[in-house]
Amino acid sequence: MTHKIERSLVELYADDPERADAVVLGRDTGPSRRGFLEGAGLAAFGALAGSAVPFAANVPAGFVPAALAQGAPPPPAAPPSGPRAPQPLNFPGKDPRLVVLGERPLVAETPESLLDDDTTPTDKFFIRNNGQIPETASNPGAWKITVDGEVQKKLELTLGDLKKRFKPVTQRMVLECGGNGRSFFSPPARGNQWTNGGVGCARWTGVRLADVLKAAGLKPSAQYTGHYGSDPSLSGEPNRPSISRGVPIKKALDPNNLIVWAINGKDLPLIHGYPVRLIVPGWPGSISSKWLTRIWVRDKVHDGPGMGGTSYRVTINPMVPGDKPDDKNFRDLESMPVRSIVTSPANGATMPPGTRELKVRGAAWGGDHAIKAVQVSIDYGASWQPAQMAKPTSRYDWVRWTAAVKLPSEGYYEIWSRATDERGVSQPHVAGNWNPQGYGANPLHRVAVRVA
Amino acid sequence: MAGLGIGVLALPALAAAQSNFTPKDEAPEDFPDAPGREDAFYACSACHGFTLVAAQGMSRARWDDTIDFMVRQHKMPPLAEKDRAVVLDYLARAFPERAPARGFQNPFLKQ
Repeated sequence: MTHKIERSLVELYADDPERADAVVLGRDTGPSRRGFLEGAGLAAFGALAGSAVPFAANVPAGFVPAALAQGAPPPPAAPPSGPRAPQPLNFPGKDPRLVVLGERPLVAETPESLLDDDTTPTDKFFIRNNGQIPETASNPGAWKITVDGEVQKKLELTLGDLKKRFKPVTQRMVLECGGNGRSFFSPPARGNQWTNGGVGCARWTGVRLADVLKAAGLKPSAQYTGHYGSDPSLSGEPNRPSISRGVPIKKALDPNNLIVWAINGKDLPLIHGYPVRLIVPGWPGSISSKWLTRIWVRDKVHDGPGMGGTSYRVTINPMVPGDKPDDKNFRDLESMPVRSIVTSPANGATMPPGTRELKVRGAAWGGDHAIKAVQVSIDYGASWQPAQMAKPTSRYDWVRWTAAVKLPSEGYYEIWSRATDERGVSQPHVAGNWNPQGYGANPLHRVAVRVA
Repeated sequence: MAGLGIGVLALPALAAAQSNFTPKDEAPEDFPDAPGREDAFYACSACHGFTLVAAQGMSRARWDDTIDFMVRQHKMPPLAEKDRAVVLDYLARAFPERAPARGFQNPFLKQ
């Protein structure tokens, strides 16, 4: 009987959240979009969640209660054939707990609770491909990178040259997929359904892209870069790049951009771009080409596959979620948005009875923008407390943070985390600024725990 | 019926030859049964896994826009009008717009 109620509730909330609130919980949300649970509604909410829900009255209207934010109703044609359980990764050298989002191309994300290390170990680093995985280079020292286009002197550098000619640097920096957070959009946006795990923060060793561009000598006509890797396209069509994106020259000259051959002190694994890749931190990861072969300096905005249209782009004027996009209303997603995650406890942790204090840990980062504050809440955002932040080791490092929260009773709690960047921009409660391919979704992170 | 005749090149084998990772074989039967399943399967899986398709949930209009996007941005061979309608009917029926399927997942309801 309970099962039947839950199923219909999920459908009800999927259909019309405000009406669902009215029907199920007996609250009228009204024009203010708030509305509070009283009496029978509160009891119903608690029953649905399977245990007491402290602070239930604070849950905003239409914000599907944690206990109900399950999967979707089955499609009318037929139920999905497989269970929606996360598919573990089976790949040499990678942690099997990474969640596979697709095998062709191979894409796997790191659950937030696996991002609990200050430096993300290589085996836990997320995987994103746009094409096929190329063969392992047999002679990495002879691997060639071409720098051409709007330069005084075309360069053809081997990896050996690169290591000899330029000063090596090592920095811990965040690399994040442009679509990170996509699954929080409603209606669902098109693409890999990342939660918050299209991200990692590793120590990268390489040379500065700016030093290499300066060695080639930029012409005054240089406007933009276009990056190429050797991964074959998915369709197998020869000489077609799987993806080729770039950045304005100003961003390209940022001293934090590196051409790297090592991650966490070891050669890059093949899946992360062996023998050499770009790291352009703060902007969508697709710019950081793996298996780097060429940097084409352009006299206009780069137009490789993955540029233009609605790819890696967000709206200029906000659009109606789910509507048909107008290509003229889009601009490139540049800096990634501010984001925080709770890395411990894991979503679903059960604490022993009597637990009244919880140590919470996490990370926060904000693309080009430094983190000013991280806050946590255990009452659905009714009140917030500051987290303690560690000092980042470089401009594009993430901020590790900790907080101790008091739990007033037994029952079900959600820990919410929210970061604010140096401009004062915070994570919103829900994913906003919907766009068809789902960029920029950075709602606060929710982790449910139970004291029982 | 062998799809629309554009996706029958067995490309996964090519990928397997070039890396140490072999994507699992997929078959139309792995996905919700409805008219047009094979056509949709072969039209999409010529390039990418159909699992990615099945992870989406969109209205017919957005699926239509997605096919335009694949043709324009990803060089998908255009479908004949009649075939396109068959594919779209399947996609819209098997993977309709729905509440987000990932995002926040309540960990306790499953117990």
